[in-house]
Amino acid sequence: MKLKSYEDMNLQELDVMKEISSIGTSHAATALSKLLQKEVRISIPEVSVLGYEETVNQIGNIEELVVATLVQMSNEINGLMLFIFKMDLANEVLGRLIGRTYQSFSELDELAYSALEEVGNIIICSYVNAFTQLVGVEIDLSVPSSTVNMLGGILTVPIAEYGYETDKLMYINAEFIIEGTKFSDGLLMLPDIASLNSILERLGVL
Amino acid sequence: MAEKDLKVGIGDMKFTRGSGTVITYALGSCIGITFYDPVLKLGSLLHIMLPNKTDPNDPRVFKYADSGIREMIRKLSAFGMVKSRTIVKIAGGAKMFDIKGNMDFGNIGQRNAAMVKKVLMEERMRISAEDTGGAYARTMLLDVATGDVIIRTVGRPEKHL
Repeated sequence: MKLKSYEDMNLQELDVMKEISSIGTSHAATALSKLLQKEVRISIPEVSVLGYEETVNQIGNIEELVVATLVQMSNEINGLMLFIFKMDLANEVLGRLIGRTYQSFSELDELAYSALEEVGNIIICSYVNAFTQLVGVEIDLSVPSSTVNMLGGILTVPIAEYGYETDKLMYINAEFIIEGTKFSDGLLMLPDIASLNSILERLGVL
Repeated sequence: MAEKDLKVGIGDMKFTRGSGTVITYALGSCIGITFYDPVLKLGSLLHIMLPNKTDPNDPRVFKYADSGIREMIRKLSAFGMVKSRTIVKIAGGAKMFDIKGNMDFGNIGQRNAAMVKKVLMEERMRISAEDTGGAYARTMLLDVATGDVIIRTVGRPEKHL
Protein backbone atom coordinates (compact mmCIF):
# COMPACT_ATOMS: atom_id res chain seq x y z
CA MET A 1 0.00 0.00 0.00
CA LYS A 2 1.65 3.19 -1.13
CA LEU A 3 -0.57 5.87 0.29
CA LYS A 4 -1.08 5.94 4.03
CA SER A 5 -3.50 8.82 4.08
CA TYR A 6 -5.56 11.03 1.77
CA GLU A 7 -3.03 13.82 2.10
CA ASP A 8 -0.32 11.62 0.59
CA MET A 9 -1.94 12.05 -2.82
CA ASN A 10 0.24 14.07 -5.16
CA LEU A 11 -1.02 16.57 -7.74
CA GLN A 12 -1.26 14.01 -10.50
CA GLU A 13 -3.27 11.63 -8.32
CA LEU A 14 -5.57 14.43 -7.20
CA ASP A 15 -6.01 15.38 -10.85
CA VAL A 16 -7.14 11.87 -11.65
CA MET A 17 -9.62 11.95 -8.77
CA LYS A 18 -10.86 15.29 -10.10
CA GLU A 19 -11.26 13.82 -13.58
CA ILE A 20 -13.37 10.89 -12.42
CA SER A 21 -15.30 13.11 -10.01
CA SER A 22 -16.12 15.40 -12.88
CA ILE A 23 -17.75 12.53 -14.75
CA GLY A 24 -19.43 11.29 -11.57
CA THR A 25 -20.94 14.67 -10.74
CA SER A 26 -22.14 15.23 -14.29
CA HIS A 27 -24.01 11.93 -14.08
CA ALA A 28 -25.46 13.14 -10.79
CA ALA A 29 -26.53 16.39 -12.46
CA THR A 30 -28.25 14.48 -15.26
CA ALA A 31 -30.13 12.37 -12.72
CA LEU A 32 -31.18 15.48 -10.81
CA SER A 33 -32.28 17.13 -14.04
CA LYS A 34 -34.53 14.19 -14.94
CA LEU A 35 -36.01 14.19 -11.48
CA LEU A 36 -36.70 17.94 -11.34
CA GLN A 37 -37.56 18.27 -15.02
CA LYS A 38 -35.29 21.28 -15.10
CA GLU A 39 -32.00 22.08 -16.73
CA VAL A 40 -29.21 21.17 -14.30
CA ARG A 41 -25.58 21.80 -15.12
CA ILE A 42 -22.55 21.23 -12.98
CA SER A 43 -19.27 23.10 -12.70
CA ILE A 44 -15.95 21.22 -12.90
CA PRO A 45 -15.41 19.95 -9.38
CA GLU A 46 -12.46 20.72 -7.18
CA VAL A 47 -11.33 17.72 -5.21
CA SER A 48 -9.73 18.77 -1.97
CA VAL A 49 -8.26 16.87 0.90
CA LEU A 50 -9.11 18.89 3.98
CA GLY A 51 -9.08 18.62 7.74
CA TYR A 52 -12.32 18.52 9.71
CA GLU A 53 -12.59 22.24 10.43
CA GLU A 54 -11.61 23.27 6.92
CA THR A 55 -14.30 21.00 5.48
CA VAL A 56 -16.91 22.43 7.84
CA ASN A 57 -15.92 25.97 6.82
CA GLN A 58 -16.05 25.12 3.11
CA ILE A 59 -19.60 23.82 3.38
CA GLY A 60 -21.10 26.16 5.97
CA ASN A 61 -21.16 26.89 9.69
CA ILE A 62 -20.41 24.32 12.34
CA GLU A 63 -23.81 24.62 14.09
CA GLU A 64 -25.80 25.08 10.88
CA LEU A 65 -28.70 22.67 10.51
CA VAL A 66 -28.38 20.55 7.35
CA VAL A 67 -29.84 17.36 5.96
CA ALA A 68 -27.29 14.66 5.23
CA THR A 69 -27.65 11.34 3.47
CA LEU A 70 -25.05 8.68 4.05
CA VAL A 71 -24.47 5.54 1.99
CA GLN A 72 -21.92 2.90 2.82
CA MET A 73 -19.82 1.37 0.03
CA SER A 74 -18.63 -2.22 0.19
CA ASN A 75 -17.30 -5.00 -2.04
CA GLU A 76 -14.16 -3.97 -3.99
CA ILE A 77 -14.24 -0.45 -2.58
CA ASN A 78 -15.06 0.16 1.07
CA GLY A 79 -15.98 3.55 2.37
CA LEU A 80 -18.66 6.17 2.77
CA MET A 81 -20.49 8.58 0.51
CA LEU A 82 -22.08 11.60 2.10
CA PHE A 83 -24.35 14.19 0.51
CA ILE A 84 -25.22 17.33 2.42
CA PHE A 85 -28.20 19.56 1.62
CA LYS A 86 -28.17 23.18 2.61
CA MET A 87 -31.46 25.04 2.81
CA ASP A 88 -31.29 26.74 -0.61
CA LEU A 89 -30.74 23.57 -2.65
CA ALA A 90 -33.24 21.66 -0.50
CA ASN A 91 -35.94 24.26 -1.20
CA GLU A 92 -35.19 24.22 -4.91
CA VAL A 93 -35.66 20.45 -4.91
CA LEU A 94 -38.68 20.38 -2.57
CA GLY A 95 -40.45 23.20 -4.40
CA ARG A 96 -40.32 21.14 -7.53
CA LEU A 97 -41.02 17.71 -6.07
CA ILE A 98 -43.65 18.35 -3.43
CA GLY A 99 -44.64 21.93 -4.17
CA ARG A 100 -43.57 23.33 -0.79
CA THR A 101 -40.64 25.21 0.63
CA TYR A 102 -39.49 25.57 4.23
CA GLN A 103 -37.98 28.30 6.40
CA SER A 104 -35.73 25.91 8.23
CA PHE A 105 -34.88 22.24 8.35
CA SER A 106 -36.43 22.00 11.80
CA GLU A 107 -39.85 22.40 10.13
CA LEU A 108 -39.39 19.49 7.73
CA ASP A 109 -42.22 16.97 7.69
CA GLU A 110 -41.88 13.28 6.91
CA LEU A 111 -42.68 13.73 3.22
CA ALA A 112 -40.09 16.45 2.67
CA TYR A 113 -37.51 14.51 4.63
CA SER A 114 -37.95 11.33 2.59
CA ALA A 115 -37.94 13.34 -0.64
CA LEU A 116 -34.56 14.81 0.29
CA GLU A 117 -33.22 11.44 1.34
CA GLU A 118 -34.26 9.99 -1.99
CA VAL A 119 -32.65 12.83 -3.95
CA GLY A 120 -29.45 12.52 -1.92
CA ASN A 121 -29.46 8.81 -2.61
CA ILE A 122 -29.99 9.32 -6.34
CA ILE A 123 -27.13 11.79 -6.52
CA ILE A 124 -24.82 9.42 -4.67
CA CYS A 125 -25.87 6.36 -6.69
CA SER A 126 -25.43 8.04 -10.06
CA TYR A 127 -22.03 9.34 -8.98
CA VAL A 128 -20.94 5.89 -7.82
CA ASN A 129 -22.32 4.20 -10.95
CA ALA A 130 -20.24 6.41 -13.20
CA PHE A 131 -17.30 5.79 -10.93
CA THR A 132 -17.56 1.98 -11.05
CA GLN A 133 -17.74 2.00 -14.85
CA LEU A 134 -14.71 4.23 -15.17
CA VAL A 135 -12.54 2.51 -12.62
CA GLY A 136 -13.79 -0.99 -13.35
CA VAL A 137 -14.67 -1.97 -9.80
CA GLU A 138 -17.73 -3.52 -8.22
CA ILE A 139 -19.25 -1.38 -5.48
CA ASP A 140 -22.28 -2.38 -3.42
CA LEU A 141 -24.24 0.41 -1.80
CA SER A 142 -26.16 0.23 1.45
CA VAL A 143 -29.67 1.53 1.98
CA PRO A 144 -29.36 5.30 2.57
CA SER A 145 -29.51 6.72 6.05
CA SER A 146 -30.32 10.37 6.69
CA THR A 147 -30.35 12.87 9.50
CA VAL A 148 -31.23 16.49 10.19
CA ASN A 149 -28.39 17.72 12.36
CA MET A 150 -25.64 20.24 12.93
CA LEU A 151 -23.13 20.23 10.08
CA GLY A 152 -20.22 19.84 12.49
CA GLY A 153 -21.76 16.80 14.13
CA ILE A 154 -22.42 15.12 10.80
CA LEU A 155 -18.85 15.53 9.64
CA THR A 156 -17.53 13.90 12.81
CA VAL A 157 -19.02 10.62 11.53
CA PRO A 158 -16.54 10.02 8.69
CA ILE A 159 -13.76 11.66 10.73
CA ALA A 160 -14.32 9.16 13.55
CA GLU A 161 -14.94 6.23 11.22
CA TYR A 162 -11.47 6.61 9.68
CA GLY A 163 -9.93 8.32 12.68
CA TYR A 164 -7.33 5.61 13.16
CA GLU A 165 -6.16 6.04 9.54
CA THR A 166 -6.42 9.72 8.73
CA ASP A 167 -7.55 13.12 10.01
CA LYS A 168 -8.60 14.25 6.54
CA LEU A 169 -11.71 14.18 4.37
CA MET A 170 -12.03 14.22 0.60
CA TYR A 171 -14.46 16.92 -0.43
CA ILE A 172 -15.77 17.11 -3.98
CA ASN A 173 -16.66 20.73 -4.39
CA ALA A 174 -18.84 21.48 -7.41
CA GLU A 175 -21.74 23.79 -8.13
CA PHE A 176 -25.07 22.64 -9.40
CA ILE A 177 -26.47 25.27 -11.74
CA ILE A 178 -30.22 24.82 -11.84
CA GLU A 179 -31.77 27.01 -14.53
CA GLY A 180 -29.10 29.61 -14.01
CA THR A 181 -29.01 29.66 -10.20
CA LYS A 182 -25.90 28.30 -8.52
CA PHE A 183 -26.02 25.94 -5.55
CA SER A 184 -22.95 24.60 -3.90
CA ASP A 185 -23.04 20.88 -3.35
CA GLY A 186 -21.85 18.98 -0.34
CA LEU A 187 -20.60 15.71 -1.72
CA LEU A 188 -17.94 13.74 0.08
CA MET A 189 -16.43 10.54 -1.18
CA LEU A 190 -14.52 8.69 1.48
CA PRO A 191 -12.95 5.42 0.45
CA ASP A 192 -10.86 3.78 3.15
CA ILE A 193 -7.14 4.02 2.53
CA ALA A 194 -6.75 0.50 1.09
CA SER A 195 -9.55 1.29 -1.37
CA LEU A 196 -8.01 4.63 -2.32
CA ASN A 197 -4.80 2.79 -3.19
CA SER A 198 -6.66 0.25 -5.27
CA ILE A 199 -8.58 3.00 -7.15
CA LEU A 200 -5.38 4.80 -8.06
CA GLU A 201 -3.64 1.54 -8.98
CA ARG A 202 -6.43 0.56 -11.32
CA LEU A 203 -6.25 3.95 -12.97
CA GLY A 204 -2.53 3.40 -13.47
CA VAL A 205 -1.25 6.39 -11.50
CA LEU A 206 0.16 4.62 -8.48
CA MET B 1 -3.67 31.59 30.65
CA ALA B 2 -6.05 33.68 28.62
CA GLU B 3 -9.09 35.05 30.40
CA LYS B 4 -11.68 34.94 27.69
CA ASP B 5 -13.73 32.70 25.50
CA LEU B 6 -11.78 29.68 24.38
CA LYS B 7 -12.81 27.44 21.53
CA VAL B 8 -11.84 23.79 21.62
CA GLY B 9 -11.49 21.99 18.28
CA ILE B 10 -11.88 18.30 17.63
CA GLY B 11 -9.22 16.27 19.43
CA ASP B 12 -8.12 19.21 21.55
CA MET B 13 -8.25 20.52 25.14
CA LYS B 14 -8.24 23.99 26.65
CA PHE B 15 -8.44 25.33 30.18
CA THR B 16 -8.62 28.63 31.98
CA ARG B 17 -8.98 30.02 35.48
CA GLY B 18 -11.17 32.62 37.20
CA SER B 19 -13.45 33.78 34.43
CA GLY B 20 -14.36 33.25 30.80
CA THR B 21 -15.84 30.31 28.95
CA VAL B 22 -14.59 27.22 27.19
CA ILE B 23 -16.76 25.94 24.35
CA THR B 24 -16.77 23.12 21.83
CA TYR B 25 -19.22 23.01 18.92
CA ALA B 26 -21.32 20.24 17.43
CA LEU B 27 -20.20 17.14 19.29
CA GLY B 28 -21.52 14.21 17.26
CA SER B 29 -20.13 10.83 18.15
CA CYS B 30 -17.29 12.66 19.92
CA ILE B 31 -17.43 13.38 23.65
CA GLY B 32 -16.82 16.60 25.53
CA ILE B 33 -15.47 16.22 29.07
CA THR B 34 -15.33 19.16 31.47
CA PHE B 35 -13.32 19.36 34.68
CA TYR B 36 -14.05 22.11 37.17
CA ASP B 37 -12.20 22.68 40.41
CA PRO B 38 -14.53 25.08 42.27
CA VAL B 39 -11.94 26.20 44.81
CA LEU B 40 -9.48 27.39 42.19
CA LYS B 41 -12.18 28.18 39.61
CA LEU B 42 -10.06 26.17 37.25
CA GLY B 43 -12.01 24.73 34.33
CA SER B 44 -11.12 22.67 31.29
CA LEU B 45 -12.86 21.12 28.32
CA LEU B 46 -11.56 18.13 26.35
CA HIS B 47 -13.05 17.04 23.00
CA ILE B 48 -12.17 13.42 22.24
CA MET B 49 -12.96 11.59 19.04
CA LEU B 50 -11.97 7.94 19.54
CA PRO B 51 -11.78 5.55 22.51
CA ASN B 52 -8.15 4.52 22.77
CA LYS B 53 -4.75 5.49 21.49
CA THR B 54 -3.23 2.50 19.72
CA ASP B 55 -0.05 3.99 18.30
CA PRO B 56 2.37 5.07 21.05
CA ASN B 57 4.10 7.45 18.62
CA ASP B 58 0.90 9.31 17.77
CA PRO B 59 1.44 12.84 19.12
CA ARG B 60 -2.27 13.71 19.21
CA VAL B 61 -3.00 12.74 22.82
CA PHE B 62 -6.26 14.70 23.04
CA LYS B 63 -7.83 12.80 20.15
CA TYR B 64 -8.38 9.71 22.30
CA ALA B 65 -10.37 9.18 25.49
CA ASP B 66 -7.70 7.27 27.39
CA SER B 67 -4.66 9.41 26.64
CA GLY B 68 -6.70 12.64 26.54
CA ILE B 69 -8.24 12.31 29.99
CA ARG B 70 -4.94 11.32 31.56
CA GLU B 71 -3.11 14.22 29.94
CA MET B 72 -5.82 16.65 31.05
CA ILE B 73 -5.49 15.39 34.63
CA ARG B 74 -1.70 15.75 34.46
CA LYS B 75 -1.84 19.28 33.07
CA LEU B 76 -4.49 20.56 35.46
CA SER B 77 -2.85 18.91 38.46
CA ALA B 78 0.24 20.96 37.63
CA PHE B 79 -1.98 24.03 38.06
CA GLY B 80 -3.18 22.80 41.44
CA MET B 81 -6.34 20.88 40.56
CA VAL B 82 -7.40 18.46 43.28
CA LYS B 83 -9.09 15.40 41.77
CA SER B 84 -11.35 14.63 44.72
CA ARG B 85 -13.14 17.99 44.62
CA THR B 86 -13.18 18.35 40.83
CA ILE B 87 -16.59 18.26 39.15
CA VAL B 88 -16.70 16.14 36.01
CA LYS B 89 -19.40 16.40 33.34
CA ILE B 90 -19.64 14.70 29.96
CA ALA B 91 -21.74 15.18 26.82
CA GLY B 92 -21.93 13.77 23.28
CA GLY B 93 -21.52 10.22 22.05
CA ALA B 94 -24.51 10.36 19.71
CA LYS B 95 -25.30 7.91 16.97
CA MET B 96 -25.81 10.15 13.95
CA PHE B 97 -26.73 7.58 11.29
CA ASP B 98 -28.36 4.17 11.35
CA ILE B 99 -27.49 1.85 8.51
CA LYS B 100 -29.94 -1.00 8.03
CA GLY B 101 -28.24 -4.37 8.19
CA ASN B 102 -25.08 -2.95 9.73
CA MET B 103 -25.62 -2.64 13.45
CA ASP B 104 -21.99 -1.90 14.16
CA PHE B 105 -21.80 1.19 12.00
CA GLY B 106 -21.80 4.43 13.89
CA ASN B 107 -21.73 3.02 17.40
CA ILE B 108 -18.41 4.75 17.95
CA GLY B 109 -20.30 7.21 20.17
CA GLN B 110 -21.30 4.44 22.53
CA ARG B 111 -17.76 3.05 22.58
CA ASN B 112 -16.40 6.52 23.29
CA ALA B 113 -18.78 6.95 26.23
CA ALA B 114 -17.86 3.56 27.65
CA MET B 115 -14.15 4.32 27.45
CA VAL B 116 -14.54 7.80 28.99
CA LYS B 117 -16.40 6.27 31.94
CA LYS B 118 -13.88 3.47 32.34
CA VAL B 119 -10.89 5.82 32.40
CA LEU B 120 -12.58 8.25 34.80
CA MET B 121 -13.42 5.36 37.11
CA GLU B 122 -9.82 4.16 37.02
CA GLU B 123 -8.76 7.70 37.88
CA ARG B 124 -11.33 7.73 40.70
CA MET B 125 -13.19 10.71 39.33
CA ARG B 126 -16.96 10.63 39.61
CA ILE B 127 -19.15 11.94 36.78
CA SER B 128 -21.63 14.35 38.37
CA ALA B 129 -23.76 14.91 35.26
CA GLU B 130 -23.96 13.62 31.72
CA ASP B 131 -25.92 14.10 28.52
CA THR B 132 -24.90 11.32 26.15
CA GLY B 133 -26.38 9.11 23.45
CA GLY B 134 -29.33 10.01 21.27
CA ALA B 135 -29.07 10.92 17.61
CA TYR B 136 -28.28 14.61 17.69
CA ALA B 137 -25.24 16.89 17.84
CA ARG B 138 -24.52 19.01 20.92
CA THR B 139 -22.57 22.16 21.65
CA MET B 140 -21.02 22.17 25.13
CA LEU B 141 -19.99 25.26 27.08
CA LEU B 142 -18.32 25.61 30.47
CA ASP B 143 -18.58 28.90 32.34
CA VAL B 144 -15.41 29.08 34.37
CA ALA B 145 -16.67 31.78 36.74
CA THR B 146 -19.55 29.61 37.97
CA GLY B 147 -18.78 26.05 36.85
CA ASP B 148 -22.06 25.97 34.95
CA VAL B 149 -22.15 23.64 31.93
CA ILE B 150 -24.61 24.42 29.14
CA ILE B 151 -25.65 22.02 26.38
CA ARG B 152 -27.11 23.48 23.21
CA THR B 153 -28.91 21.33 20.65
CA VAL B 154 -31.12 22.19 17.71
CA GLY B 155 -34.84 22.21 18.40
CA ARG B 156 -34.51 21.68 22.17
CA PRO B 157 -34.20 24.18 24.99
CA GLU B 158 -30.75 24.81 26.45
CA LYS B 159 -29.87 22.38 29.17
CA HIS B 160 -27.79 23.01 32.29
CA LEU B 161 -25.83 19.99 33.38
